[in-house]
This record gives sequence, structure tokens and C-alpha cells, in this order.
Amino acid sequence: MSEPMRIRATLQGDVADVRILMRHPMETGQRKDAKGEIIPVHFIQHVLVTHNGRTVLDAQWSQAVSRDPFLGLRVKGAKAGDKIAVTWTDNKGDKRTDEATIAPAS
Amino acid sequence: MDTLRSGAAAFALACLLTALAAAQSPSGLEVGRKMLMEDNPGELWIDRGKKLFHEKRGPRKASLEQCDFGLGPGKLKGATTHLPRYFADTDKVEDLDSRIVTCMVTLQGFKLEDVKRTAIGRPLTDGSDVEAIAMYVASNSNGMKMDVRLDHPKEREMYKAGQYLFFRRSGQTDFGCVTCHGDPDKRIRLQDLVHMLDKKEIQAVAGSWPAYRGAHGIARTMQWRLYDCFWQMRLPELGYLSDVSIALSTYLNYQGNGGVVKVPGFKR
Amino acid sequence: MKKAIRWTLAAVPLLIAVGCATFPDAQSTRDTAESMIKASFTAPAPHLLKRLDQDRAQQICSKVDQAPLTQEEAAEVVKLARASIEYPKSGKLVGDWKIGAKLAYNGAGDRIQNGRLEKRKENGGLCQNCHGLEAGEINVGNIGPPLTGFGAQRGNSEAVAKYAYEKIYNGWAYFPCSNMPRLGANKHLTLEQITHLVAYLIDPESSLNKK
Repeated sequence: MSEPMRIRATLQGDVADVRILMRHPMETGQRKDAKGEIIPVHFIQHVLVTHNGRTVLDAQWSQAVSRDPFLGLRVKGAKAGDKIAVTWTDNKGDKRTDEATIAPAS
Repeated sequence: MDTLRSGAAAFALACLLTALAAAQSPSGLEVGRKMLMEDNPGELWIDRGKKLFHEKRGPRKASLEQCDFGLGPGKLKGATTHLPRYFADTDKVEDLDSRIVTCMVTLQGFKLEDVKRTAIGRPLTDGSDVEAIAMYVASNSNGMKMDVRLDHPKEREMYKAGQYLFFRRSGQTDFGCVTCHGDPDKRIRLQDLVHMLDKKEIQAVAGSWPAYRGAHGIARTMQWRLYDCFWQMRLPELGYLSDVSIALSTYLNYQGNGGVVKVPGFKR
Repeated sequence: MKKAIRWTLAAVPLLIAVGCATFPDAQSTRDTAESMIKASFTAPAPHLLKRLDQDRAQQICSKVDQAPLTQEEAAEVVKLARASIEYPKSGKLVGDWKIGAKLAYNGAGDRIQNGRLEKRKENGGLCQNCHGLEAGEINVGNIGPPLTGFGAQRGNSEAVAKYAYEKIYNGWAYFPCSNMPRLGANKHLTLEQITHLVAYLIDPESSLNKK
């Protein structure tokens, strides 16, 4: 239903540089449509990032975050082949999880 | 007195060096734009476009895998660096959009008018299939240099016509492309304008299309960009895939030869 | 040896004709491009397509690669521009600066999109796109010079009012082929609108002239 995220995780020493692109309208609830009616609020409220199942980021977002958000983070103690999983949940209750494997340092 | 004077001189030198250093370091705007450019949402269109490219679609239930972008059917790596170019099968010079549309019609059986009508997506939607496929196809040239050739007489005709059109002023604004893109260091409000008569500047943008247009939240191709310019100039609507659009793209892309392809670009 | 050279010399023009780049000349390029224009645009009403036609001055001002104007060409553009200028019947060139201020920041009006002409109450002056206006603003275009303190610098005499009016009506009277649109001559703005912009520029009370 929702589009897949794009997750890139590359190793720099023992730190994984993780870059996540999400597809989401992130409506603030303040915009009006062509008829002049408010477009309902619709945004990612919660983001969870895990490293081999262990939570490394647990974030509460608001409608202040832009459409099609980008999230970048660095995870210490990472190794090539480790799993990074990202889950977002929005205010309508929609949820999505995508996974990526940490690539070796190039 | 001497120590005071040399102290003052040293101070003046320090100030000058600091000013110079500040001039060299990127402005806040530049840093911000660079951050937006890297990891921009346009990458999600590459994924979407790839899926659409390989999917069996249309009345003929065929994929686009046999589409020839100039290097042979299905050969995508580097293909868009040579666009626009002449294609014998249509006897026309075609850009990326035209070629995708040609293949959607001839390989997949879609109706030409239907594809053209929906090819430029509405802002704040998922955008069109053509825009996604264009992003995917172009991404196969990432890291390579623009290399438009003008070997065929029709390519040369397009190039010269595009050059003429670039400088052509008309309408109640008396604008031509050159009005905004013919001088260095120009801006409309806060939007920097590419000086297209400068080799380095046009090389820097030639490989930046298709791009994610922040304000619209979707992928955009050069066809849309040209349309939008004519809109702002208070001129009539530029036809999708029209000769004028191909001529201008041929001229500009050739001028941008040597520029490195880096899609998705990011525009405000 | 001599025979070989003679043969080679004879062959060279042939080789040039066949192998080297032959691009269309200026006249056929012009014809091709103009017919492309006729086939490449649509508009909600036929008369709007005339916006693509060029008048004599625009033709002169469209030189490929920004080739310089000759003295004669520059003089012709200036002459055409001067002849085009119309003044309000009342003779009053200075209107209301508050209305002018709104116009100066208004970049909308008269665009064509999705088969419709954008008709608003009036066309905007488009000034802010290219010119810095009020002091202290960051988002200032620079295609034209900043207009901050225009009247404060020049005063608001009749001569200055006339100059400002003519610059907006048809700036090519002063600077042939300027990037500045001929807002009055092209009827993007009405004569009355121009008087309000003049006031915005030169009225000492105008926010443009306040520190």
C-alpha cells in the first residue's frame, strides 16, 4: 500500500552510516485544497530503527517534518552483514517496515 | 609608534585573510542545497521506475526491456548521455521522454494521446509513469559524462534551431531563455539562475535531469521544465514532445557535454 | 611527387564537403525554427498564440550568442520605443504608492496553463522577481538593479516622475533590448497601474524610500 523506503547503510570503520528515504505526504493539516477545504493532517508519528533487532533510534515526529522525509543516523559497533530495520507509523495507524543489510566499507 | 603601525598592519592583514576565507567557504544556502541534493526523495522514483520498466504492461502485455534508447534494445548504461539523438525507426530526433513514449506505444500498445496527456504528473501526487521510468533509465548513466553527438543532419537542424530559439524574445514580457540564463550570478528572488552560456555552469546541470521538484513532491523531466519556463514567460503552452522542446533540449544538452550525470537532481 | 600533391589538393575540397560538419545556415535555421514554433504551442484562444509573434524590436533584440547591436539597430529600437509611449489623459503620472507597493510584489497574472488563461483582477508588476525593493529583504532578485531608496536618491520632481514612468512603460527607450519587459507598451500593465508604481518609486512617503 505504501511505497518502499530506500535504506543505504555503509560501514565507516565500526560505524554504519545509515541513510533512509521515506515516501509520505506529511500533511500539516494547515493546507487547503482547490475548493478551500483543509487537507486532513497525515504524518509519520513514530520512527523506530533497529540494529540486529536492538533499538538504536526511537523518535516521535510531528507534522513539522517535510514531505518525503530523509533520516540519517550513525550506528556504532556495526559490522558488514548486520541488519538495519526501519519502521514508521503514522497518525492514521498505517505502518511500514523495511530492512537493509550493512554493506562493507568501500 | 613603529610597533603600533606594524600591529595595525598585522590586524588589517588578519581581517583581509578572514574575509577571504569567508568568501571561499560555502554560504549557508549552498550547504543546505548540497544536503538536499544528496539523498533526495527522487531516489524513490528510481525504484518505482525500475519496477514499471520491467513490468509487463499495456494492451500488448510487454515490458520496456526491448526499448532501444540508442545503444541497442535494452542497453541502458550510458544511453541517456547521448540524448536527444536521431532514431531511424521514427525518423526523428527524440529525447528521453519521447523515446519512453515511443516504446510505450510500439512495444506495449498504449495509445499515444493517452500517454502524452498524462505524462506530466500533477504536483503532490505520485506523478506519472513516464517520469518514474525516465528517472530509472537516466540513473543508469550516473557518473558518466554527457556526450550528445550532432552527426545526423536532423540532429544538426535541431541544435541550430534550439540555439536560435534560446535567444528569441517574444510576448508581453519580452523574455527569451537568454533573459534569465544569459548572464552570470543572476537570481530571481532567491532562486539562482544557471548561466547557460557558461560552459562550466551548463555542464553542472546538464546531467541533473530528471530531478525531484521539492515544491511539487514528484519527479520532473526536462520536458516539464521547459513547459514551466514558457508558462512563467506568459507565452502559450509548450506542447509535450514538441519540436521546440526537442530543439531546445538538443542545444542545451550539447552545450552541457562533459557534464557528469547525477540523477535524481534536486530542484526547489 | 608533384602529381600526388596535385591529386591530394584536388580531393581536399571534396573531402571537406563530404566529411566536415555542414550545419544549416542562419536563414534556413530561422525558417525551420519559426515553423517549429507554429506547430509546438497551444492556447485556449487563437489570439493568445500571437504572443509568440515577434515585433520588429524583438527581432532585433534576439541576436544569437548576444551579438552586439549596431548603432543603427540600437537607434531603431530606441525610436520605436519612444514612439510607443502613451501617457495618461489626465497628465498625472504619479498615483498612489500604497497601491504601487502591492503591485510591485505581485508576480501573478496572465499566464496560460492546462488550457486556461490566468485572469485575476489585474496583472502584477512582477518587480520583485528581478529587483530588490524594501530595505533589509533577503529574497531579492538581481536581474535588475536594486530599487531601494529610488526616490530618496533621485528626488520626486516632474522630470524624475516622467523618467520612471517611461522606464516602466517602455524601458527600451533608454536601454535598447534591455532585459526589462516593456510593461506598458506590451499592455501587461495599464497606464493607471504604472502611475501607482511611479508613486511607489518616488513618493517620499513610500515604504521604498523609508530607512
